[in-house]
Amino acid sequence: MTAEMTLVHAATTAASQPGTLLWLIPFLPLFGFLLNGLSGRKLKSTKVVDFFALGSVGVAFLLTLYYFIQLAGLPAEGRSIHQSLWTWFDVGGARVLGGLTTYKIQWAYKFDVLSGCMALLVTGAGFLIHLFSTGYMAEERNDGRYYRFMAYLNLFVFSMLNLVLGANIMMMFLGWEGVGLCSYLLIGFYFEKEFAAVAGKKAFVTNRIGDFGFMIGFFLIFQIFGSLDYDTLMGSVRAVAHLPAITLYGHTASPTWWFNLIGCCLFVGAMGKSAQIPLYVWLPDAMAGPTPVSALIHAATMVTSGLYMITRMNFIYVNAPVALAVVLAFGSLTAFVAATMGLAQYDIKKVLAYSTVSQLGFMFMGMGAGAFSAGMFHVFTHAAFKASLFLGSGSVIAACHHEQDMRNMGGLKKLMPITAMSMILATFAISGIFPFSGFFSKDEILWKVFEGWYQHGHYTGPTLNLVAWILGMLGAACTAFYMTRLIAMTFYGEYRGAGHDPHGLSVPSEAHGHDDAHGDPHDDHGHDDHGHAAPSHAAAHGHAAPDSHGHGPTEVSWRMWLPVSILAGLAVVLGFLNYPESLHRILPIVPSELFSKWIEPLLYQVAPAHHGEHVPPAIEYGLMAWATLVWAPAAMLLAWWMYKVDPSWSRAKAFVARFPVLYRWVNAKYYVDEFYEAALIEPIKRFSAQLWSFDTWVVDGVVNGAARATLIWAGLMNWVDEYLVDGAVDLVEYFVQETSGVFRGLQTGRVQNYAFVMFLGFLVFAFWKFLV
Amino acid sequence: MEHQLETIGRNMFAIFGVMALCGAAFMVASKSAVHSVLGFLFAMLCVAGCFLSLDAEFLGMAQILVYAGGIVVLFLFVVMLVELSKFKEKGVFQLQTRSAVIAVIVGGVAFLAAFRNLLFGAASPEALVLRPELAQGLAVAQQNAQAVSRGLFSDFLLPFEILSVILLVALVGAVVLAKTERV
Amino acid sequence: MVNLNTVLLISSILFAIGIAGVLVRRNALVILMSIELMLNAANLNFIAFARHSGSVSGQAFALLVMGFAAAEVAVGLALVVALYRKRDTVQVDDINLLKG
Repeated sequence: MTAEMTLVHAATTAASQPGTLLWLIPFLPLFGFLLNGLSGRKLKSTKVVDFFALGSVGVAFLLTLYYFIQLAGLPAEGRSIHQSLWTWFDVGGARVLGGLTTYKIQWAYKFDVLSGCMALLVTGAGFLIHLFSTGYMAEERNDGRYYRFMAYLNLFVFSMLNLVLGANIMMMFLGWEGVGLCSYLLIGFYFEKEFAAVAGKKAFVTNRIGDFGFMIGFFLIFQIFGSLDYDTLMGSVRAVAHLPAITLYGHTASPTWWFNLIGCCLFVGAMGKSAQIPLYVWLPDAMAGPTPVSALIHAATMVTSGLYMITRMNFIYVNAPVALAVVLAFGSLTAFVAATMGLAQYDIKKVLAYSTVSQLGFMFMGMGAGAFSAGMFHVFTHAAFKASLFLGSGSVIAACHHEQDMRNMGGLKKLMPITAMSMILATFAISGIFPFSGFFSKDEILWKVFEGWYQHGHYTGPTLNLVAWILGMLGAACTAFYMTRLIAMTFYGEYRGAGHDPHGLSVPSEAHGHDDAHGDPHDDHGHDDHGHAAPSHAAAHGHAAPDSHGHGPTEVSWRMWLPVSILAGLAVVLGFLNYPESLHRILPIVPSELFSKWIEPLLYQVAPAHHGEHVPPAIEYGLMAWATLVWAPAAMLLAWWMYKVDPSWSRAKAFVARFPVLYRWVNAKYYVDEFYEAALIEPIKRFSAQLWSFDTWVVDGVVNGAARATLIWAGLMNWVDEYLVDGAVDLVEYFVQETSGVFRGLQTGRVQNYAFVMFLGFLVFAFWKFLV
Repeated sequence: MEHQLETIGRNMFAIFGVMALCGAAFMVASKSAVHSVLGFLFAMLCVAGCFLSLDAEFLGMAQILVYAGGIVVLFLFVVMLVELSKFKEKGVFQLQTRSAVIAVIVGGVAFLAAFRNLLFGAASPEALVLRPELAQGLAVAQQNAQAVSRGLFSDFLLPFEILSVILLVALVGAVVLAKTERV
Repeated sequence: MVNLNTVLLISSILFAIGIAGVLVRRNALVILMSIELMLNAANLNFIAFARHSGSVSGQAFALLVMGFAAAEVAVGLALVVALYRKRDTVQVDDINLLKG
């Protein structure tokens, strides 16, 4: 088996095209990082930092686009550009299944149908978010940490590109850890604030738990396949799957069993990175970082790496039914639970964070149902609309002077029309309204899940699929509800900030923002300085529009609204890239299933796909119409009715008053954080403390107890001594004194004397052993 | 001339070994701690030479890196740190020196006597050569470093990992022990 | 060509010098160095026998020994420094708290 793998591997290495500039795509951001990180502090103008940061990512994007077009020109089977730079390390001689391997891990990049799309996403969204950051982080330009932020963002883009473009799992792992590190650095960017530092730590530790699973997973892959190259793995998986049994570590089981194990381990990794139950807790806290970070890392790119990994490893999952079921179960649970958590949040970024968790759950549902292309497609559409929403919320937060509580917003539609329009479009997309992109991706997932149970008219599939589908539908309704609620609270009604509060809804500002009025010396536009005149960022950045409102927020500068609107535009049209076959039959406006066909070469086919005529059943049309015409709009209208039609929110308040317990649980996110704190973190801390005090209590206790017992014993014995034993003791003592005088000389207290005696003892032993 | 060079090459190990012994003896005998460290450095480099002449190139290099590059420098630092000049008057050698040297010599002689067959018997001139039929781990290796790493990461993986933990513990322990106590 | 007896002779003498150093010197630093000598003598044997038996296990183990030696030196020197700080000496016969 090894020999045949080696052959496959040799073939793939030979296909490397060394002349290409593919390596520049990930390395350009790295150069940007090095330039900015090493020289940023010295640079006079932050414009230079902008130039390096934006330039490197921008050129990387153009290069990606170029290679993508090249890729599209290739025939479907050969759509892969491979570049091997150098041998990273040689693991030859390691013992794997079937003997010693001669495998060398290459530092290699592979630009294929999946990684190409992901690279486009990373560089494209990355560039827009870099652009947004130049506006959003404007006030950091003055206090010398601006270069640090941009450098971290570049490093993140490098790591993420490494993750998606790497040609083997080690390269992916390098990027995987790299994005974890960058996430830590960026969440804790304002590390002088304690909540940011704690959130960064939480994200890092939670991710490490996931990484552990991921590592076990790919170690097992290496043990079984003797290689980590995707091409080799793809090539040999069929042979491995047909082995009668695999024995590793003394355990013999069928290949399916091992694949299930690998799949579950890898999914643990995906859970951490992609924020699934039970490891999702870091993502909402990660909102402590600057908003562009939330958009780039925690909505658009990094959290999708788990999905990317599972799609890459689809050949494992297809052969691992149990692992797929686990993915489906956790995905659907996350999709629903996180969506309900979003219902009662007031922090605008928290709503979006839970929304992200929930949408990621949807993607995993798709993967779990075996529809990898549907799940991946939702990754892309979600990246567009969620990045748009996050950046839009960033604009709103910046315009409202780092106010994140939606109760203190409202009525912003009139004041920031472009941001409002973009976000409303993105909301339609995420809610799944036809023909916005969310409809195409989300309903495809839900349909695939349902199809798993429905099975062409026989309702005999696994019940799990039905349950997952119901959870997914509920989650979709919740999504539509909380997003409409967010829009209504933020953009409609009247502005409730800055002392205007017709309905008594606003709350004292919580210090979530980084530059709030807490005595920060750099707060050059704080409330106190300018009263309610409040020049927005736009004014600060040379936006020429006069401050016509006198108070309250105004539209932000073009650097900020441009990325938001571009992403919103994408969120509107992107869906047509995967136009469903069933709709194509009745409404052939664009070619159907472009994306699925594009990604198909990457997917492992259990059996040769039959390309016969496949009539979409009526039930598909029915569900589609139901979801987009009744289900989501109903939820949206409900939210509209509760929060817009009635500006005092009395209906929502009545509902809360009616079910106070429910509200409390949802608002407190089901106390999961508290549960972890109490059930995991506290015990570990306490255990450590106990280990620490083991010494004082047990070891010292034994000593002290012995001392006390001796004392009592001595007290008891005292009189016995004095009268009975003394005479005898005196006698004995006399002898002891006489004899011990001889031995006392031996106890010099010098270690070397003791060492000498030891050596003599050794000599005696040696003599006795060898000579006698 | 050529013949002499050949002889030297053949006896490379013995030459390095004797030099190492000289360095070690100088280290033990010299009064000044700095001289001791220099003797130690010399001995270590010669031992590295011995390794090289035994075809253990990787270990020879590691020896030079670890000892000359790390440990000796560390020793020198500590020698500079502790101002040894003020201990000179107390004498270099222990009171037990004479008996200890005698014991060591006796032990050494006894050792040589015990292994006299191995050292001076019929089998002793047998040259140390690599027997390829035994070299299982070398099957896929062309270089010494490759072979060592294969041994290290397959059969000795667990000890290797344990060693890493021990190094970490030693690191922490050294920091804890050597740090000045501040409140 | 190297003979086995040469290696064993040299390593045993090196080891003896190490032991002698540990036993006769007062300076804790020199004692530590002598311990290193002994470890090196052992390493020499490991490598010689690895050569003899044709397996690389001996070399791999010698590498591990080297790692342990490094750890030992780190801790030993830290002890010396701590000793110097506490009692202002590095002469081991000044430390006789064990004396009865």
